[in-house]
Amino acid sequence: MNSTSRVVSNIIFCIQILLLFLLLVEDSISLPPFLQLAGRMHPLVLHIPIGVGVFLVSLQLFAPKASAADRGTVVRMGLLLTSASASVAALFGFFLSLQGEYGGDALQQHKISGVILSWLCYFLVVLDSLEVKRVWFLSLGAGVIGVLVLAGHTGSILTHGENFLFGPMDKSSVVLTAENASVFQYAVAPIFEKKCYSCHNESKAKGKLVMTDIDRFKAGGEHGKPWVEGKPQQSRMIKAFYLPLDHDEHMPPDGKPQLTLIEIEVLKSWIKSGADFDKKLGEFPDGDTLKLRVAELVSKEPVQEIEKIYTFEAASDDDLEKMNTPFLSVSALYLNSPALQADFYVRKEFDIKSLQQLKAIANQLVVLSLSKMPVSDNDLTIIASFKNLEVLNLNFTSIQGEGLRSLEALAHLKSLSLSGTKVSARHLAPVLGLPELKQLYVWSTDITASQRDSLAGKHPDVSILLTQFDDNSMLRLSKPMLVNEGVIKPDDQIVFRHPMPGVTIRYTTDGSVPDSVNSLAYEHPFKFTKTTVVKAKGCKDGWFCSDMAEFTCFVRGKQPDELILLTQPDPQYPGEGVQSLTDGRKGVADVLKEPSWLGYRKNPFVVGVEFQPQPPEIKEIVISYARNIGGYSLPPKEVEVWGGESEISLKLIKKFTPQQPTENGALKVDMISVTIPPSTHKYYKLVVRQVPRLPEWHDGKGERSWVFIDELFFY
Amino acid sequence: MENELLKQRFQITRRHFLGKMSLGLGSVALGSLLIPDLFKPSDDGIPQLAGLPHFAPKAKRIIYLFQNGAPSQLESFDYKPLLNKMTGQELPESIRKGQRLTGMTSGQAKFPLVGSHFSFAQYGQSGAWVSELFPHMSKIVDDLCFIKTMNTEAINHDPALTFMQSGAQQGNRPSMGAWMSYGLGSDNKNLPAYCVLLSRGRGNGQGVYSKLWTNGFLDSIHQGVQFSSSEERVLYLKDPDGRDRQATRKMLDNLSELNSLGHQEFGDPEIQTRIQQYEMAYRMQTAVPELSDLAQEPDHIIKMYGADCLVPGTYASNCLLARKLSESGVRFVQLYHQGWDQHGNMVGEMPLQAEDVDRSTAALVMDLKQRGLLDETLVIWGGEFGRTNYCQGTLSKENYGRDHHPRAYTIWMAGGGVKPGMVYGETDEFGYNIVKDPVHVNDFHATVLHLMGLNHEQLTFKHLGRRYRLTDVAGKVVNGILA
Repeated sequence: MNSTSRVVSNIIFCIQILLLFLLLVEDSISLPPFLQLAGRMHPLVLHIPIGVGVFLVSLQLFAPKASAADRGTVVRMGLLLTSASASVAALFGFFLSLQGEYGGDALQQHKISGVILSWLCYFLVVLDSLEVKRVWFLSLGAGVIGVLVLAGHTGSILTHGENFLFGPMDKSSVVLTAENASVFQYAVAPIFEKKCYSCHNESKAKGKLVMTDIDRFKAGGEHGKPWVEGKPQQSRMIKAFYLPLDHDEHMPPDGKPQLTLIEIEVLKSWIKSGADFDKKLGEFPDGDTLKLRVAELVSKEPVQEIEKIYTFEAASDDDLEKMNTPFLSVSALYLNSPALQADFYVRKEFDIKSLQQLKAIANQLVVLSLSKMPVSDNDLTIIASFKNLEVLNLNFTSIQGEGLRSLEALAHLKSLSLSGTKVSARHLAPVLGLPELKQLYVWSTDITASQRDSLAGKHPDVSILLTQFDDNSMLRLSKPMLVNEGVIKPDDQIVFRHPMPGVTIRYTTDGSVPDSVNSLAYEHPFKFTKTTVVKAKGCKDGWFCSDMAEFTCFVRGKQPDELILLTQPDPQYPGEGVQSLTDGRKGVADVLKEPSWLGYRKNPFVVGVEFQPQPPEIKEIVISYARNIGGYSLPPKEVEVWGGESEISLKLIKKFTPQQPTENGALKVDMISVTIPPSTHKYYKLVVRQVPRLPEWHDGKGERSWVFIDELFFY
Repeated sequence: MENELLKQRFQITRRHFLGKMSLGLGSVALGSLLIPDLFKPSDDGIPQLAGLPHFAPKAKRIIYLFQNGAPSQLESFDYKPLLNKMTGQELPESIRKGQRLTGMTSGQAKFPLVGSHFSFAQYGQSGAWVSELFPHMSKIVDDLCFIKTMNTEAINHDPALTFMQSGAQQGNRPSMGAWMSYGLGSDNKNLPAYCVLLSRGRGNGQGVYSKLWTNGFLDSIHQGVQFSSSEERVLYLKDPDGRDRQATRKMLDNLSELNSLGHQEFGDPEIQTRIQQYEMAYRMQTAVPELSDLAQEPDHIIKMYGADCLVPGTYASNCLLARKLSESGVRFVQLYHQGWDQHGNMVGEMPLQAEDVDRSTAALVMDLKQRGLLDETLVIWGGEFGRTNYCQGTLSKENYGRDHHPRAYTIWMAGGGVKPGMVYGETDEFGYNIVKDPVHVNDFHATVLHLMGLNHEQLTFKHLGRRYRLTDVAGKVVNGILA
């Protein structure tokens, strides 16, 4: 017997620890089915400790004089049974609570009181075995009974509802409306009930204020009446709402649900209107503040529902996985939502079968986008079976409109997009009649603004969007573009293009500004034999001609046999030495560090050029340079061309002074063309000199300029 | 004797203690059997399997029109007539309160206030103030929600830009788009979830660099894919001449087999990512040409966005492409438009910058609206900080400049669950400090995540021993702008 009771007592101890542990890790537990079953035994087991407890109490009360030996065994047995069954009941109850059918404050209270009860019963067993003084034992026993009642009561609330016990004694259950109730009952008391009654009721009465009874409420608490008729600002109650939250007198106290702004406004206007307890809402004049505030309070309530709750079953994950392809994405609206959305992508890959497949999730599909898919009117019958559909996007599909009739079945459709389809106004009647439709998009269809207006007049609940960017002013075209890049070979075709279809490109090659009528129209690619500046504009009816574009087409010329740099470039900008000048690679004017550029500042640029053994006739020399004036890279001050039969017998053939800029201007790779009398020298020498002093208007006035050269051409 | 033994039981012996403890521990062990995930390795670091919003999202996609360089709020949307009255007068110390300045103006002896050179007017039913530089945006103010009280901690471009994009000033954290891709996955499997488009205006510019669209410590599948500014928007996407798609498929199959072997051997998750990227590129070969051929757009669309929208690499063409990408399910399209850094020559450069973006931005919002997409697409327009109310450099009758100002700047959002026709927050009449409803960069991030159905405190990734968030340890959803 002794060893059995020790085993039982140890098991009870284990259950206590288990209970505490489980309570701690409650959120991460998942319950196997057999324990769910155990949980459902809770209502059975819980009656054992109640019964045995009642027996022990009666033993105590009615047979105090039974022989000690008898009592000892019976009480010990009884206590063990109470404790064991209470522990098991608590554990099973815990399992039951995890099954998610119960919730709220009552559950929390029941759970805690159950665990406490189970622990107290265990202490009782321990105390009994220690044979302490009877009075300790009895008082703990009384405590156990108290907690038992509490746990039992909270349990009954869970199973039978809040007012189960006292329900029969409750008098009225009439629904209060603005018509049958006074403003106080209808709007004011419910605020108090939500925010104040928990402390100011007949059993609690903080500050001796009782609000649950109208007469005692009027009588006020220890500080007197909480309001002053007609003077909300002086009313104690209103002042308390506005005190800082951490102030002792702030009501409701920090941690309790606070009044909303509208609730405060309702209370203020109720006091302002005289704090009448009997007047009905209808008795106040229209436009009265209190009336307006109450209307606001009442209308605010439904807005509190934040998310729509879908009651249908979720689709199976397997189904979803099967449907998802790179061209169809089906997913839940959000985590754990049964509602689904489906989007189709890539017109070329559209397969009507994948739309039919969606019938497997016809109940769950809430959002469907078929934008740009080749869906026809007949296919809309498939969509008609998606009865919970709320958003449907049919933009730029192939529908003509007749098929919209089949969408009549979509009772929950809220938004329908038909932009860019061939639907016309007469097709819209069936969808405009849909009960929940809010938005209809019909931009870029045959529907005109006046048709839209007349439809909108008939269906004020639906916003029909036909917006167009309202700007019919003439716009300027973008500039034409040169397709060729870098240095062009003499037999390459020069190609211009404009990104907009239907644009005529007008151009000149003589340096004059092209005009939209007389200048040459670019019709097909052509060739240049030497470096040429092309000025071009794009023109099209209904648009302003583009700004002028200027292109320098660098064309490969006669190739010298050897080039020698007679002065060295600045060490910072060495390029790739002399070969940079003939490698056909063009630089860009804002990245001068590139190896296509040779940069000179201190020294003039001097290069020797040799044509061997049969020197060709040379008439023109073109120097390609960087025009980056803010970056100190200006056109050279002057260019000298020397020629002769050998390096030592050169004569100055030509001196050329390029035009100097007068302001910063755009960055570009520009050219200097030096025409010389036709000659067939074996040797030439080119000297390019920088501007020694930058002009007054330049940021670096007085300093020496740079010259950057990337290519030389000989024609 | 009996009693003494009993008394001793109050003084627990070691044996008793150990005995009871083993019972207790046993119970705990028994209880722990009910926790299925107890001994599973933590799943941090594995991309969220569901890729679903935490709650019903208001917006499904984002187009972020980043105005790089910091456009002046005082010449665009934050109208401060007092500055015009006080032009030339010194910025009162009571307003500046010793706030730090950049090295570019901290040496200035004077801080003369300067009013906007450009006139303002109110527009729409909301009565929002817009400067004359934005004639088209002023027409759509009733679709926009202006936030006038953005504020940041960074005072120079790079940290501010990095902060705005990744929630940290130092870089190497995932940027917003990468977080979205991580949290929500990709809708259209034929396109990257996060696309980046660059353009450059005619004003003084600041650089952008790929660290701004980095995946940081997230899987590299979440990295932003930068579209080229050339005719071919995604480089190297076409099959080489002479090879057909069948051959590509075969090559990829074999390659993926080899890579899978590599993955089995080394277990590097980046190998899996690489396989996925190849597959994505293969699918992009079909999807991208359909998208990037802008010349196929009808004439009225070209007119809306302006002729430049056909010129690759312009802001206008990026806006049009952004619409097409977003329409095709790209989660996050990030534009950067450079050239807004008007330290000097405000009068010369600001109109050029505004001209470049005004029409096409308004067109983008309208275009989304008429397709019914604005409701589910969040459009954001704004820079990394604001500009000072005092003049940087010489203040002349004709021209002036403004330095960086992190304390208050204006951005706007449109569509996707944001209240339309709203002006949120208020700056003082000097346009220097915030007087009502500040919105910190962290709050901005929290709000954008909220609109996408993500709880910014729950979207985390464990890295170097701690959980990171886009909002790090701060950020509050700005409820005032939620529709």
